[in-house]
Amino acid sequence: MPQITIEYMIMIPLLILQIFLFPLTAGWIMNTWTESRQTLALQETASYVGSSIHQVYSALNHESISAGAVTNQLEVPSSIEGYPYAGNASFRDAAPEDAQILDITLSLLGSRIVATTSVTLGSNVGWDIDSIFMSNSSYSSLIAEKMANGTILLSFEGDN
Amino acid sequence: MVSSSIDHMVAVTVFLAATLLFIGLFNQTIQTAVIYQRHKATATKASDLLDNMLLSPGIPVNWGQINGTPTGFGLQDPEFTQYKLSPYSLMRLTSFSGTPVYYPRTGTTYSNITMGFGNFLLVSSAQAINYSTARNLLGINGKYGFQLTISPIITVSVTKISSGTPLKLSINVAGAGSSLPYAPISYCFILVNKGNNQYPSFTTVYDNTYTNAAGSVELTFSGIDGESYSYALIAYAGISGLKGAGYFTHSSEDLEEYVVPMVDSFEDRRVLIAHSWAVHEDGGSNSELKYNATFVILANDFTLREVPIGVGRVGHVVYGQGTEKAWGNITIPTYNPGILVVTYRKSATQYGAVMMPWGLSAMAFPVTFGGDPSQQEWVATDMRHVTVDGIAYQAKLALWSLEGYQVIN
Repeated sequence: MPQITIEYMIMIPLLILQIFLFPLTAGWIMNTWTESRQTLALQETASYVGSSIHQVYSALNHESISAGAVTNQLEVPSSIEGYPYAGNASFRDAAPEDAQILDITLSLLGSRIVATTSVTLGSNVGWDIDSIFMSNSSYSSLIAEKMANGTILLSFEGDN
Repeated sequence: MVSSSIDHMVAVTVFLAATLLFIGLFNQTIQTAVIYQRHKATATKASDLLDNMLLSPGIPVNWGQINGTPTGFGLQDPEFTQYKLSPYSLMRLTSFSGTPVYYPRTGTTYSNITMGFGNFLLVSSAQAINYSTARNLLGINGKYGFQLTISPIITVSVTKISSGTPLKLSINVAGAGSSLPYAPISYCFILVNKGNNQYPSFTTVYDNTYTNAAGSVELTFSGIDGESYSYALIAYAGISGLKGAGYFTHSSEDLEEYVVPMVDSFEDRRVLIAHSWAVHEDGGSNSELKYNATFVILANDFTLREVPIGVGRVGHVVYGQGTEKAWGNITIPTYNPGILVVTYRKSATQYGAVMMPWGLSAMAFPVTFGGDPSQQEWVATDMRHVTVDGIAYQAKLALWSLEGYQVIN
C-alpha cells in the first residue's frame, strides 16, 4: 500500500507538474531573451539617433555654415523584430548655463520597452517638442534649420 | 509494486535532470547571443562616440583657450571642419600615462606628458579636464568607460651619433612600420652660447634637407663639441601631406639641475618656470639657474619663426634660498601653436635647454586620456586619422561597458 501511495499520490503529480513546468520555463527564458534583444536594439537605435542629432548640430553650428535647412535621413531600422517604435525629445530642466541637455526617448510600440539617451547641445538650439519620430514612417528624418541669428531649430519629421 | 515505484522515481529524477540540463544549456546559448549583441552595441557606440568627440568643438567652442570647465566635450578645432582637432583642447586633457607632478611651492598638481629629458608638457590640474568630467559631459557616466589615444602617425626621431667635435645628429623619419625615403625636412638648431652673459643667449640655425633612401639624414655642425655644449634641435618632416615632428635637447653633462616649464593658465597664456629641485625635492641644498626663453612658431610651410616674448623673457629660479621667489612667469605671446624654448645657465661652463609645446601638435606629442582598458572584459576599439595643426595623428578610442554583459530583465 505505501508503494501505491508514493506512486500515485506523489510521483505521478510530480511528473505531470514537470510536463507543465518545462514549457513554462522555456517560455520564460524565451521572453527574457526576446526582451533583452529588443531592449539592446532599441538602446542602440536611441544612441544612434542621439549621435546624429549631436553631429548635425555640431556641423550646423560652425560659423562657416550659413542659414538654411538640412534634412538628415536617419538610417535606423523601421521596426525591431516586427514592432515599430516611436520617439520624442525634450530639454532637461536642469542644465549648465551655456548648454542644454536634450533627452531622447524611444518606445517600442506594443511593449513596455523604453530606451533613453541624452545629448549636450549649445544654448542656441531650439527643439520642436511636438515633433514625434515614427520608425515606420516612409520619411522619418531629422530636420535642422539654422536661422540668420545663429539659432538652430531641430525636430523629427514623419508621416504618422 | 516496489519496482513500479522505483520506475516512477527514476523517471521523475531523469525528467528533472533533463529539465535542469535543458534550462542550463538554453540559458547559456541565450547568454552568448545577448553578449554578442551587447558587444555589437558597444562597437557601434564606440564609433558614434569617437565621431562625437572628433567632429564637435565642444561647448564653448574655444574651451581649449580658456580656463573654465566646458559644458560640452569635443576636440575639433573650431576654426575648421571635419577631422581637424584643436591643439589646445588636447593640451587640456589629463594625461593617463604620465605620473602627475606635484609642485609644493604653488601647492598644485600638474598633468604630465614628458617625452624624454628636456621635453615637457605639464598642465595645472586646475586647468586640465579629467576623465570623470569628460564622461559626464559625454553623457556616458556609469554606462561606458573609455580611453582615447592621440598619437602621431609620422615618427621623427633625432639621435646624437657623434662624440666630441663636430656634432653630428641623425634624423630618422618613419611612417606606420616603414621608413620614409626622400622626405623633406625643415629644422631649427638652437645653440646656447657660452660666455659671460648673465642670461644665456643662443644662436638659431634654420635649414631644410631631405632624407636619404633609408629614410634618414645626418646633420653635421662643425666647431661644436657635442658633449660640452648645450643645444636643441626641432625637425619637421613628412610626405604626401602627412607631417610629423621630432626634437632633441642636450645639456652640459655635469649639470644636474634644469628648469621646468609648467602651464599655469590657458586664458592668460601664462607659463611658470620652476627649478627642477623645487619640483622634485631631490636635489642639493642651494642652487640658482638663470634662464632665457624664446618662442618659435610654425609657419604654414613648417618653417620656424621666432616671436619675441615680452616681460619675463629672462629671469632666474632658485632653490633653497630662503623666501626668495622660486619661479618665473612667462606669457606666451600668441595663440599660434609653437614651441617654448628655455635655455638656462648655472655657471660659465654649465648650460642647458628645455622645450615645451604650446599646442600639443607643435612637438607632435601624443596624449592618452581616460580610464584603463586592460582589466575590462571586452573592449571595442575604433580609430580615425586626424590632423592637429597640420600634423598627422591617429585617434583611437577604446570603449567598454560598465553595465556588465548579462541578460537584461
